[in-house]
Amino acid sequence: MIVIKNRSVRSFIRVAVPFFVIPALALFGSIAFDRKKHIIISLAAAFFALMVFISGFEKKSVGTRRLVITAVMTALCFIGRFIPFLKPITALTIITALYLGGESGFLVGAMTAILSNIYFGHGPWTAFQMLAWGLIGLIAGFLSEPLKRNKLLLLIYGAAAGIAYSFIMDIWTVLWYNNGFDTRLYLSALVTAIPYTLSYMISNVMFLVVLAKPFGEKLGRIKIKYGV
Amino acid sequence: MRRFEEYEPFVITVFFLSVIVIAMFSVHPVVVFLTFITGILFYIIRNGKKHIRSHLFFAMLFVILAVANPLVSHNGVTVLFVINNNPVTLEAFLYGINSAMMIVGVLYWFRSFTQIMTSDKLLYVFGIFSPKLSLILSMALRFIPMFRNQAERVKDAQKAMGLYSDDNIIDDIRSNMRVFSIVVTWALENGITTADSMSARGYGTGKRTNFSDYRFGRSDIVLLITDILLFIIVIYVSASGHLDFNFYPSVSYSGHDTIGLIGSIAYGILLMLPVYIEIRGNIRWKYLMSKV
Repeated sequence: MIVIKNRSVRSFIRVAVPFFVIPALALFGSIAFDRKKHIIISLAAAFFALMVFISGFEKKSVGTRRLVITAVMTALCFIGRFIPFLKPITALTIITALYLGGESGFLVGAMTAILSNIYFGHGPWTAFQMLAWGLIGLIAGFLSEPLKRNKLLLLIYGAAAGIAYSFIMDIWTVLWYNNGFDTRLYLSALVTAIPYTLSYMISNVMFLVVLAKPFGEKLGRIKIKYGV
Repeated sequence: MRRFEEYEPFVITVFFLSVIVIAMFSVHPVVVFLTFITGILFYIIRNGKKHIRSHLFFAMLFVILAVANPLVSHNGVTVLFVINNNPVTLEAFLYGINSAMMIVGVLYWFRSFTQIMTSDKLLYVFGIFSPKLSLILSMALRFIPMFRNQAERVKDAQKAMGLYSDDNIIDDIRSNMRVFSIVVTWALENGITTADSMSARGYGTGKRTNFSDYRFGRSDIVLLITDILLFIIVIYVSASGHLDFNFYPSVSYSGHDTIGLIGSIAYGILLMLPVYIEIRGNIRWKYLMSKV
């Protein structure tokens, strides 16, 4: 068994393997083998990416306090999903990632997807929702320094996250409907989804404007006071 | 003689996963049709005449999905008619119906999945793979009613102090925002207290065990093995090209040989397993009731 000593290399691998290596392999596989099986390959890729990330998290020793705070944020996100039309989930995921790091952000996004789908209905899309929200959190964690310093940048990131979420979920819609990827169907799906994309963008920006400061203060305080 | 939902949650999850994987792996109309019909059948057996509205919704979705494809996609050689210089082809039409059946069928199966896998079962299955995440999920589930109660208490306290007003909409929003802010601060502090209490009792020092009162009995093993065997047969048949079906440019298919037939029958049996278990449970229930 090879043990990697360098801590930053280790954490890089933990993130790079599930979210870059596996999708790349999946892409390669779908091109090399059968063009009709995109749907199952993408589903498998999403599933394995989540599994690898989760098993990495499982092995790592995470402080109990951080674990519980993640659960608190997940519960808040879950409650937020019941607000009609405007969903604060993405905004809360981003805020969590800014103060507690990308991993917690990923977990809050992904866990909220599982938890709320118990009530909103599970589907093959659950895996993609987990990935989409999780990645939004993870990337926000990487960019936490500039995003914390510059409010405008944060709002732009929120709007971009809304668009990205819609784009990821539409890839899935097209794959499911057509089994293979089809650019024309994808474009028409994007056009039909414009109202939803707009509502994601507006709610992300709105909730970031309203919640970023108070939540930031609260999480920052907890972080300083208890050293989470 | 258990009902399907009383089986071990892990076995149920494996069953649903195998159905979903096959349903998405194969576009052969026989496979798609079987998924579609049994999905509806299983849902109706479990729910009877309830949920008429969701049936209507699915019917509407089916029509939309079936019609959308021939209007968007113009592949195929058999032209039926031409709208605005765009040919509408028979192949695209058939493909649309096939896709619609596949999607609506899988949606029905997932409806049953959501009904059967209640939160406790989901947490149990999750706990097998990742005890830590299962813990986060179950804590989050418990926090939800706790936060609601706390919000009520904070609201009452604010009212008693004369700080809460809902006379007009602006006051209402401001008061609610204040309550929300207080509850969030409390929730985070309370989370830290919970965490400290957990550490004090030795969380994280040893190997974590899970409590569950699901038993893994003989019928679970039988169902699990049957399920896996049938799954392997279907995937093998499908992957070896005996269940291929192409809509474009013109309809062409395989599956009329013995191996293709075996694959279809195996898939049919797999899908009928929960239906059979459910019907057997119903008959047994009625029989026992008639004796009372």
